[in-house]
This record gives sequence, structure tokens and C-alpha cells, in this order.
Amino acid sequence: MTFQTMITQLGQGFGTTLSIFFLTLLGSLPLGLLVTFGRRSKFAPLRGFIKFYISIMRGTPLMLQLIVVFYGPNLIFGLSVPSNWRFIAAIVAFVINYAAYFAEIYRGGIESIPVGQYEAAEVLGYSKSQTFLKIILPQMVKRVLPSVTNEVITLVKDTSLVYVIGVVEMFTRAKQIAVAPDSPGIVTLFVAGVFYYVFNFIVAWVMERIEKRLNYYQ
Amino acid sequence: MKKMKKFLSLALALVMMVSLLAACGSKDSGKQKLIVGFDAEFPPYGFLAADGSYDGFDLAMAEEVCKRLDWEFEAVAIDWNSKDTELKSGNINCIWNGFTYNGRENDYTWSDPYVDNSIVIVVKADSGIKTLADLAGKTVMAQAASSAVDAINGNEAFKATLKEVVELPDYNNGFMELKQGTVDAVAADIGVAAYQMANNSGDYVMLDEAISSEQYAVGFLLGNTELRDAVNGELKKMAADGTMMKIAENYVDAGLVLDNLCMCN
Repeated sequence: MTFQTMITQLGQGFGTTLSIFFLTLLGSLPLGLLVTFGRRSKFAPLRGFIKFYISIMRGTPLMLQLIVVFYGPNLIFGLSVPSNWRFIAAIVAFVINYAAYFAEIYRGGIESIPVGQYEAAEVLGYSKSQTFLKIILPQMVKRVLPSVTNEVITLVKDTSLVYVIGVVEMFTRAKQIAVAPDSPGIVTLFVAGVFYYVFNFIVAWVMERIEKRLNYYQ
Repeated sequence: MKKMKKFLSLALALVMMVSLLAACGSKDSGKQKLIVGFDAEFPPYGFLAADGSYDGFDLAMAEEVCKRLDWEFEAVAIDWNSKDTELKSGNINCIWNGFTYNGRENDYTWSDPYVDNSIVIVVKADSGIKTLADLAGKTVMAQAASSAVDAINGNEAFKATLKEVVELPDYNNGFMELKQGTVDAVAADIGVAAYQMANNSGDYVMLDEAISSEQYAVGFLLGNTELRDAVNGELKKMAADGTMMKIAENYVDAGLVLDNLCMCN
């Protein structure tokens, strides 16, 4: 196996890594906001349920959650699952896990806005939803960006956990290449590391750009 | 802001395309399907080929069986630790990957054995270890959830002399540890050991004494005799008409020993 074949194959694996990454963000960033609302709800049972959900998501390993989501429907409930369930289960597990973390980050952002702003909005005749959408949310987004960047970068590296349910992404592929006949061997793993690093470098750069753009008071 | 919207819509379009692609490929043709669970880091029985497909002696045979029966064939690279859960949940319907039958007789519904295997010990050539007795006080690596671990556990007198048995996810890691000296020996299936010795730099020797002898067979979910009978029937025919030997010859370079094909002899 030549160096070029190795790169091509790592690239294919990286496609899976990217799909997991983007689909997870697409699902968990908005879901996290919903979870925050639930967590801050005045309705105690909902608030309690969301607190419980967040504590489970943060308190158990993501690897275990992947296993439960993938095998659970069949082994616990006896349901038959579609043939592409492997990949879907990976996305579902990642989305519900990351939504819990994002929700807590958002909550920190929302609660850091002084009460005076709510009072001022009320005096000016803003409705509750107007206050949130026009005054609170834009400031919240600005404040939580550095923490969100942290999670997003962690997500890139967490994608490699899906090997446990048989989804072959870049790192699993790298390990397979490393033992294939005539392969470049262990060098493959370092090349995989370069893929991760370059991608995270781009992620950090994009996030920094967004931060700068939102920095409109300076 | 406009630029950002453009970027966002582009990203969104990309994601949608990817999810569309992911949703495809799940067409059901109504044909019987053989979904083989295997470990893609286990040459010569299952490994990654240069063109990005999965290859290996066992996969080639499974594909031939499907071709003869007009079945659909699918190979799934599973995490070897999860093989039982994969099988029980129906995500795969057989385990076919240098899968040792001895000691697991009552856990699966089995085909007839087709390869004679032994669990051997590989050490560094300059280690001075010549026999199993020399391993007293040494650290031995074996693949987690593998028959090599079972073989060591099954030989209690031998195990008692060892300092430690280190279980790792695959043999590539084992040979790296052997090279850097964090383990003193690797216990592996003979085909795997031969392949790894040839493909890893460094001077290794295989001990003459084996820990155990055993046989490979195809494992199906306990009670799934219907599928087993169909596959087993074809396997026997392939052994009788020489197809199995012909397939095997393609994998000699990858460490397969033709003399060990017990179904053909």
C-alpha cells in the first residue's frame, strides 16, 4: 500500500468523521437551546426531568451511551432496526450528549445577563419573547462562544469513539491501514493526527472570526 | 452578515447532502442476506485491502458462499469485544473471522471446523526465552476477548507462573509493546503470529511449544440452524471441489498455512 493510497483511504474515513461532526452540531446546537428552556422552566416536573437528563449525559461515558443507543432498541425493547441504524445511532447518541453540554453553556450565558436589562425591557414595553430574542439571546451568543468552541473541538476528537458500535471513521480506518499488508505501518496514526490537527486549526480559526465579528462594542 | 449567511447555507447544504448519502444504500432487495461480523485488524482472515475494500480468507469464502446461494453479502467491521451483542441484536448474522470453536461449543450454533489453529507464543529473538517454562515471571500480551486469552486461562498451571496477562484491542499494539519491551511475549493464533512477524520490523521467534490447539469454524446465533445448515452445506462442497483451496492460495502471502485447512484434508 503506497503513501498515496493511505491518504486516499484516510480521506474517505475523514468523510465519515466530518458527517458525524456536522450532523451532531446541526442537531445539538438548537436542541441545546430547547434543553436550556426546559432547565429554566417554571414547571417543576419538566425542570426536574431535564436536570436528570443532563446529569445522566454528563455523568456517564459517551462510549456507554453509544452502546445503549445502538443496541438498546433491540435488546431492551425487541424492536427491529433499519440497516443503517449503526450510523443513525451514532448521530443520535452524539446529539443528545452534546445538547446537554451546550444547554448548560447557554444557561450560564443567559444567567450572566443582569436582571436590570429585563426590567428595562419591560419598561420599554418589550414582550417576553421580544426581550429574549432581541436583547438576551444576542448577548448570550457572544458570551458563550469561547466555551462553545471548546466543545466543538472536543467533538472532533470524540468522533473516534464510534468504533465501539462498528462505525468506521478516520481513526478506526487508520488502525486498519496500520495492519494491512504492505502498509506504511504506525506512521498512519500520526498522519491521522495531522488530519485532526489541521481540521481543528480551521475550526478554531472560523470560531475566532465569528467572535471578532460579534465583538461590535469595541 | 451576508457572507456569514452564505457560509451557513453552504454548510447546511453540505450536511444535507451527506445525510442523504447516509440514507441511501439501505435498499432491501428481499434476498436472503448474510451479514458477516469480522475484525478488520486480523490478517489473513480479515483486513483492509489497498483499494479500500475489506479482504481476507474468511471474507472471500463468505462471499463465494453467497454467490453460490444467490444471497446478498455484507461484511461489517465490528469491535471484536462487541461480537456477542452484535449477533444477539441481529446487526450481524454470523461471526466469521478466524473464530475459535473450542471452548465456545455451547455459546453459538457452529459450522463444521475448517482450519486447524494453535495458539503460539512469539518472543524477541534475543530474549533467551525458549520454552513455555521460561515465561515464568514474564508479561504476556493477548487480544482482548480472543481465544488466546481463553487458552491462557484454560491452562491454569501455566497462567500461575506468569507475572501478568495484558489484554489489548489488537495484535498490532501487542507487537509494538513487544518491540518496546513493555511485554515479554505475545500469545496469538498461529496465522496471525506469522503475519505479524513478517510485517513488523524486529527479530522475533515463535516458540516450538504451543499453548493449545483448536479449530476455527463459523459461529451463528445459538439456535439458528437453518442459516448454519445452508452455509455449512456450501462450505463442504467448496472444500470437496477444490474452491476452498484455490481461495486459500491467494492468502498464503498474508500468513495462511495451507496444511492447516482441515476441511480440505
